[in-house]
Amino acid sequence: MKALFFAALVIYAAAVVLQFSGTAFKKDALLRASWYVFLAAFALHTVFLAARGVAAKRLPLSNQFEFANAFAWGVALMVIVLKIRLKADWLCAAGMPAALLVMGYAAMQPMEIHDLMPALRSAWFGVHIGSAVLSYSSFVIAGVCGLRWLMAEKKGGEKRVLDQMDYLGYRMIAFGFLMLTVVILSGAIWAEQAWSAFWTWDPKEVWALITWIIYAVYLHLRLRRARRGAFTAWYAVVSVPVVFFTFAGVNTLMHGLHTYG
Amino acid sequence: MKKLFSFLRSMRFGVLLLALIGLCSVAGTVIPQGREIAWYAQTYRSFHAAILLLRLHRVFESWYFIALILLLCVNLSLCSLTRIRSVTRAAKNEGDRAAALPDQKLLTSEGLAVLRAHMEAMRCREEKRGGVTLWRKNGFGRYGTFVTHLSILLTVVFGALALYTPTTEDHDIMPGETLTLEDGTQIRIDSFRLTDETGRLDYESTAEITLPDGRSSGVVPIRVNHPVSFGSYKLFQQSFGTAGSITVTDLAGGGSDEFLLTETSFLTADGRSGLWYEVLYPDYIRAPSGEVTLITLTEGSYPNPIYQVLVVSGEEYTPTLAVPGDTLEVFGLRFTFNEPVEYPGIRVKHVSRLFNGLLVAAFTLMILGLYLTFFCEPVLVKTDESGYAVAGPRPERMRIELENLLEEYAIEAKPSP
Ligand code: HEM
Repeated sequence: MKALFFAALVIYAAAVVLQFSGTAFKKDALLRASWYVFLAAFALHTVFLAARGVAAKRLPLSNQFEFANAFAWGVALMVIVLKIRLKADWLCAAGMPAALLVMGYAAMQPMEIHDLMPALRSAWFGVHIGSAVLSYSSFVIAGVCGLRWLMAEKKGGEKRVLDQMDYLGYRMIAFGFLMLTVVILSGAIWAEQAWSAFWTWDPKEVWALITWIIYAVYLHLRLRRARRGAFTAWYAVVSVPVVFFTFAGVNTLMHGLHTYG
Repeated sequence: MKKLFSFLRSMRFGVLLLALIGLCSVAGTVIPQGREIAWYAQTYRSFHAAILLLRLHRVFESWYFIALILLLCVNLSLCSLTRIRSVTRAAKNEGDRAAALPDQKLLTSEGLAVLRAHMEAMRCREEKRGGVTLWRKNGFGRYGTFVTHLSILLTVVFGALALYTPTTEDHDIMPGETLTLEDGTQIRIDSFRLTDETGRLDYESTAEITLPDGRSSGVVPIRVNHPVSFGSYKLFQQSFGTAGSITVTDLAGGGSDEFLLTETSFLTADGRSGLWYEVLYPDYIRAPSGEVTLITLTEGSYPNPIYQVLVVSGEEYTPTLAVPGDTLEVFGLRFTFNEPVEYPGIRVKHVSRLFNGLLVAAFTLMILGLYLTFFCEPVLVKTDESGYAVAGPRPERMRIELENLLEEYAIEAKPSP
């Protein structure tokens, strides 16, 4: 099964190389090839995700590897859905490498399948962690939109496309924010069931709250029309490392109730 | 005074408060919270005085953190109250204002047909008004931000009540034993096991709770993630332990008693000779030479328990190891070492169901508020025979959607003379 994961990783990498070459040499054929290779990698990745779930007899979302793997899958899924629905071809140049980076992080984690510890055996598990995958993936895509906005603006891009990038970034943050709210609130209800208190100021909880505050501030600042564009683009890009810290940094650097492995 | 009030209810103040709460929270995770003072002195050396002075070792209980939360509540209440009025007022004549708007984009007749088909596909209500058409949908979406802010306020209030009013106590209760709480409620542990039928770890107690008025819960299971609520109590499967079990028989009188031991104890009849129970180890390895290595760490059950005891006779202390099934006789007493007994640590929480229920209702309201804000944005589009204009309280989404849809049908507006 590991082979399936690494095959998907290598094919994602191939898609990214084709994407970069296509952009650098301005060759549409390479960009088209990159798209189909990316779809193939995603299909393989989906098979791996399903096989892992079947082998573990549960949702494959329980440790750092499984979460990172699902996170990468979420980013790739969003790139695909948004490109098709909004004809947002510009998303691929930064969206594909973003999926690859998260996948690369997953590859560095221990991959063994473990039995779910009793505290995780709950109906809230899927809601809490599934919404975290969607939320973090949306924030990454928002960062991708921000990056593309900054690149396009530097090259004197068309206003309509710049507006589309800015607005898509905002929508992704709005969706990610809703999902992060679901993560925090479902986590609170679950914590009361498992540990007897809705909130314990555990580092993982607090960093989820910090991330939530950062994006709440974004939503308010963006209400002023003057701030749309460069400011919101930078904000969306700079916030992505915070999302990564909440997801990975807290588990490695800080000890708390969420330290599962 | 007016200036202060408008600052207190401003979004600028709200954002500032959120940023400060965020900064305090970062400090509260970087500096470990709630440790002994000596630990901070040792770890942070010369900085520790500043940490203690600023209460960075207990950020989330500090006066300034609580003040920030209270100010956020004031800010949210004032802002919500003033905004709900202006939002409702603006809703009253927004149709008239939209109808009077000049076209923002001019379209070809084909473009106008595409626009009409799109508005119909979106299931917008069509309203004719003085020669123009208004397309409307999701009017209630304008209250999304109000519902969101209100729910945040309620979450803080009910969250504080649900978090800080309950009392919790942790008790180790041996199977077969009954714990009596202060108000007379009794909790009897019927059984406890560490693993389920398939052998995987799954701590489960069965317990019976009897309230002071005599009502009983019957024997119910308590498992991790599946607490039991009865009366105003909620019981959680919190931890577990393993107790040594030694049966003491009086060889002369014939009576016997079983003792479950979790800490060092002296089992004696005359106060001078008997058995000091020291500790129970989960596992050991016996070398061919007979030498025993004791193992302290295992997960879950004790696979090869071994007792470490001292046989005491007068002034003499003899260290001894014993495994279940062994017996020792000391001055007329027989000590029989039994299989250890696993017991649960039960957390007893005295809860207010009302506060818990209100908090969960506030959570639901927050999700609803955000859904209304982001996914039910009000749509108000004016069309006439030459083009269209997007109006309403949150026009951005519709403006971008229509610009993209109708790009190829747009007619460049003539620059005004
Ligand atoms: C505590 C966390 C808060 C959260 C999660 C929150 C959430 C939101 C959201 C999601 C929006 C909609 C933004 C958009 O349309 O993109 C919003 C709008 C707004 N928020 Fe907040 N908010 C918070 C606190 C505050 C505070 C303290 C104020 C202070 C006055 C405030 C004032 C506003 C205002 C004036 C709007 C625009 C309202 C409208 O367009 O109808 N918010 N807020």
